[in-house]
Amino acid sequence: MLTRQTIILTAPSLLARAPSVRRSGHRVGVSSDTVRLTSAVRAPFYRREIGTVTFGELLERHEREIFAYVLRLTGSRADADDLYQETFLAAFRAWPPPRAGNERAWLYKIATNKAIDQVRRTRRLVPLADLRLAAPERDGVTLSDLATAVRTLPTGQRAAFVLRKVEGRSYAEVANALGCSEVAARSRVAEAMKKVKEAVR
Amino acid sequence: MNALEPLVDEAREHLLARAKREGLVRVGYGIMDSPLGPLWIAVGPRGVVNIHYGVTPDPRELARITRAYGPGVLPDRRSCDRVLTELDQYFAGRRKRFDVEVDLAPLTPFQQRILMATARVPYGELTTYKVVARQAGNEQASRAAGAALGANPIPIVVPCHRIVAADGTLGGYAGGLPAKRRLLALERGKAEVPAGGWERSRR
Repeated sequence: MLTRQTIILTAPSLLARAPSVRRSGHRVGVSSDTVRLTSAVRAPFYRREIGTVTFGELLERHEREIFAYVLRLTGSRADADDLYQETFLAAFRAWPPPRAGNERAWLYKIATNKAIDQVRRTRRLVPLADLRLAAPERDGVTLSDLATAVRTLPTGQRAAFVLRKVEGRSYAEVANALGCSEVAARSRVAEAMKKVKEAVR
Repeated sequence: MNALEPLVDEAREHLLARAKREGLVRVGYGIMDSPLGPLWIAVGPRGVVNIHYGVTPDPRELARITRAYGPGVLPDRRSCDRVLTELDQYFAGRRKRFDVEVDLAPLTPFQQRILMATARVPYGELTTYKVVARQAGNEQASRAAGAALGANPIPIVVPCHRIVAADGTLGGYAGGLPAKRRLLALERGKAEVPAGGWERSRR
């Protein structure tokens, strides 16, 4: 393992000194070592020059990162699963990627647009104003006060509050996300709401 | 990051199912852990398109596959099931002939004739580049035959390891000469092919 890594690290300089090795050394190679190592070394060079040629490569290179991203965006495994699929299917339908070597930014853009579409399609966001926390008679309340109040809630209540009041999800979805009953979800949201109101008063 | 892995796998399964329903997957690939080391295997609509010694595809082979079938080349072990089973049986000495279809369509007619002649060489037997060249219609072309075999996209299944030089030396092999030797030994029933592959047993 160690030797292989060492060789890969030093290989570019070897190649620079003997450029012909790169072309002829691949298949006709003298020993099996040569064959294995040259092909191991060649791959990254090739990819940087040509970019992605198959959908599988695009997927294998970026799927973890994109999944993590959509998971952060949605906060839900089911939605992340959907978004991941939508993102890669859209990428595939729009094939090829716009510029070689720029697939990552392209995928992020698609994922972000798909996330916005998903939000528009599935739920109406409840504006913060509707919380009546920043009503005119309480002008002194700022968003940062509100954020602090939310932060100090116990975890379960905080999640329920954010899902329902910030992200505008249904109580069924909140219950699903928190793994509790709908009644429990309602009471957590109500409890959280009460505490937040008290905190910013 | 590790906790994410099963979620991504699951999402990928869903994606694959959808992509298949929509006809976007043309070629599915998987990696096999063979006694000769890992093999990268791709199967298209008309059969096996590529077997490559290694965990990643050969860029030139990938380009060839993409030219023939477009970018719909996806990780999909299921499409490789049949060839994986046959390879397992072959390495265990329980299969002397492959029944799985191979897809030589993206190759030149000469390459195809050479590989078809190669596929007729029986298990455990050897022939020379010259004989294969003659069967492909040009006895003078033994060097070209060697080149075509060196570029064999489907080694093992198309048994290019059974072709040797006329002077009795082994010739070449894309998977390395030790791999060629061990395939021939396996077919003569002389040696077990121990698990772990030629990489570890080299020393």
